[in-house]
Amino acid sequence: MSFVTIFALGIAAFIALPILAHRLRRRRAEERAFPAAALVPPAPPRARRRAKLEDRALFGVRALAIAALALLGASPLVRCTRLSLSRSSGASMAVAIVIDDSMSMRAKAGNQTRFARAKAAASELLAGTRDGDAVGVVLAGSPPRVALAPTTELDAVSSIISSTTESDRATDLDGAIHLAETLLAALPQVDKRVVVLSDLADGKPDAPALGENAVVPIWAPLAEIRDTKETDCAITSADDTGGRVIVRLACGKDVSASGRRVEVRAGERVVGSGTATATTTTDLSVDVTGVTPGEALTAHLLGGDAIATDDVAPVLVSQSGAIGVVAEAADETAVTGGPPVVEQAFAALRSDLATRPLPAVPDQPGDFHGFFGLVVDDPPGFTPEQRRALSQYLEGGGVMLVALGPRASAAPLGATLQPLLDHATTWSEAKSKGAKPDADAVLLGEATRSLVDLGAAKRTTLSPADVGSVENLVAWSDGAPLVARRVIGRGEAWIVTLPFALDASDLPLRPAFIALLDAFVATTHTHAAPRRADVGATWTLPSGASAAKGPSGAIDLVREGGRAKLSPPVVGAYHVTIDGKDELRVAAPIARETDLRPRALKSQEASSHLGATQAQVDISPYVAVALLLLLFAELALRLRAGQSPGEKMIG
Amino acid sequence: MTTSFPWGDIASLRIRSRLVAEGVYAGAHRSARRGSGIEFGGHREYVAGDDLRWLDRRALLRHGRHLVRQFETETDRALRLVVDASASMGYRGSRAPETKLGVASLLAAALARIAVSSGDPIGLAYLGGGSARPVALSGGREAFDRLLGSLEIAKAEGDAVRDPEMLERSFGVLERAARRGSVVIVLSDLLDLPRDTAEHFSAMAARGRSVVVVQVLAPDEIDLPFDGTVRLRALEGDVVVETDTAVARDAYLAALRGLAAHYETTLMARGARFLRVSTADDPVASVRAIVGAVR
Repeated sequence: MSFVTIFALGIAAFIALPILAHRLRRRRAEERAFPAAALVPPAPPRARRRAKLEDRALFGVRALAIAALALLGASPLVRCTRLSLSRSSGASMAVAIVIDDSMSMRAKAGNQTRFARAKAAASELLAGTRDGDAVGVVLAGSPPRVALAPTTELDAVSSIISSTTESDRATDLDGAIHLAETLLAALPQVDKRVVVLSDLADGKPDAPALGENAVVPIWAPLAEIRDTKETDCAITSADDTGGRVIVRLACGKDVSASGRRVEVRAGERVVGSGTATATTTTDLSVDVTGVTPGEALTAHLLGGDAIATDDVAPVLVSQSGAIGVVAEAADETAVTGGPPVVEQAFAALRSDLATRPLPAVPDQPGDFHGFFGLVVDDPPGFTPEQRRALSQYLEGGGVMLVALGPRASAAPLGATLQPLLDHATTWSEAKSKGAKPDADAVLLGEATRSLVDLGAAKRTTLSPADVGSVENLVAWSDGAPLVARRVIGRGEAWIVTLPFALDASDLPLRPAFIALLDAFVATTHTHAAPRRADVGATWTLPSGASAAKGPSGAIDLVREGGRAKLSPPVVGAYHVTIDGKDELRVAAPIARETDLRPRALKSQEASSHLGATQAQVDISPYVAVALLLLLFAELALRLRAGQSPGEKMIG
Repeated sequence: MTTSFPWGDIASLRIRSRLVAEGVYAGAHRSARRGSGIEFGGHREYVAGDDLRWLDRRALLRHGRHLVRQFETETDRALRLVVDASASMGYRGSRAPETKLGVASLLAAALARIAVSSGDPIGLAYLGGGSARPVALSGGREAFDRLLGSLEIAKAEGDAVRDPEMLERSFGVLERAARRGSVVIVLSDLLDLPRDTAEHFSAMAARGRSVVVVQVLAPDEIDLPFDGTVRLRALEGDVVVETDTAVARDAYLAALRGLAAHYETTLMARGARFLRVSTADDPVASVRAIVGAVR
């Protein structure tokens, strides 16, 4: 505090002046010698009576006026405990406020949640901005989102900040900061900065310090919400396997749920319970009894911790599924001496889905029940019954992997490859010997390189019309599709232009083949219903999806490319209506979000040159208005006193 | 305000007292008293202490009232002046030409001159006054000169509140020395005196002496003219009163009237007289009123 501030505040000491004036006024009575003083009765002097009448009002007003005057003098230097940006020059600045709305922000910091403190801090920052400042808001819950692009309309920013709500998403601070920097990049302001209002608990405490390679200066205040010693455990999944519920627990680093009780409830009724063991992450098996079929169950982790919302999870009924494999085993057995190579490959994957060999593609829709996926190796076309059954299966969300070879190209009369392909294929000499070395291939990734020197003498060629209707996932070196995908209804079909038979190519021997099957299995999982997914992940729903209802009520579906999308913000059960049928999906908490340890922060980013929690705030306008009101009040009091005759006051 | 005698020189007091006395001569002047004597002088109401020999039984039978007969006689009457020279008498106020002690001295000197001119002996005693010297009863111009000399050096000193024996010292001697038929004139503000002072005065009157008590007050004491809040400090005792005069004036005047009424009632019961004079009044009129009261 500078000398000027002390001097200005010292004016407040003049509050003593009215007191002194009143006392002097009372003592102003002149002393006179008067022999008959004994006959004079003492009487409260009029001045004292007036002083008493005015003490509470007039004196109070005058004292407040002096205090206001002192504040007015010191107001540019008065420091208030509120968050504010430091302004190195008078120029306007561009600020991106990153608000962490992840699940860890639900933990308490004092008497409020971390998120509430971050939200209040954002409002405080906004109050310190001036006309011309551009402010944007980015939410750091995964995936990072732009709540509001930088704008000079500060009212809009305020509205956005106040409408921001908590979520159970994971934390993606790196992505959010990158997004914020991108938003600021195009702005003309010279003074740019990113303010991160977060507990920095993104589950990666050992990752490089935040702000290492930041282009824009990053300021992360709110150290108080990072110093807490809170711990958290969560139920990440709960599956009913028929009389037994498998509850999976996750806890933060060096935190154990040991000794905490887990209850499975049907409504308010406890139908089973167990106690967690000492392991940090564990599957707890809870036997349940007295549950009627179809009754909704929830798993509860008792004992309490930093975050309550992740201590409850809906129990899903596990559905047993399998992958049906239709392969001509005659040739294969001659070569391998065992099951078809594709079945052996599935076994090598150690997938949780069983493989079940089928003699032929089912021709009844009911025969697809229980199959999450169907693998067909070089089918000789499909009969009309098979085509009808396949259409229903795929439209309903089934996934199919079809390898096309010489038999598919020589389909008998009446047999076609519909609904996968609309035209016939040809089995001909391969123009290229391998796949295009496209390391960026989304489907197989690095494994794509193992297909570069694929030794295939012949390959299946799709008709040009069909090539246009499929998505080329892996291409031959000449651009023709090697692995293609066609979306059919809610399902999809993967088409490989080489059969899985070893005498046709050595594709099954390449690492890419295992990667292909693994991707296929993962896809079957994502299409299997009911589904459990990480909270915050986007669910792509069929176009028939019409409504969704989550733990906090109805949720609007986002239409994009003819499909509906839903990103569940909080954990819990979601009921999605698809083609008139109710489908249960579950948004599960992310295990790493239970780790509340803050991530390291680049030291200079925490310094106060970017802002301060005790910033200079100019309160002059408010004090001036208060002073004016006080002057009016004193005037009114004096007028009132003037209207009251002294004698009446005395009387 | 001055607390000492402010006369300046003796000539002034002498001249002024003579002028006052001459003003009084212009009116009636008789050295006469009623009481036992030769020539019947009328009746008056009997009061306790009267000599029962003069109770008129016939008048009692005729009128049903106790009356005593009075007779006029030509005799010399000793004039004993009692001047209050306590500290409170040094007060002058804002509208008076002299202090109360000054005015009381002037009145006493004028009365003494009148008495001396009539051949009556005069004596002087003080209430308070510190070093003021009383004047023994004697007659002639020399006595008048001694009285003037004493009044000249008298200063307003003494505290009747702190010194309750002051009254006894003055009146004790006077009661023993004053003979029957003496005229006792007390010039005092009657402030700060003990509550039983009136009884002392009236007791002197009951023994055949003519007693006139003159309350000498400054105009400020009569109407309390101050404005606003004042702190009033008594000249005797430790009384300090802070008051709002607008509020306290009526109560003060009532208390002053009550004090006068107390003296008047007590003195009248013994045949003594009570007067009040203001230091702003014409001293001739004041002396004339005193002389009239003696009759």
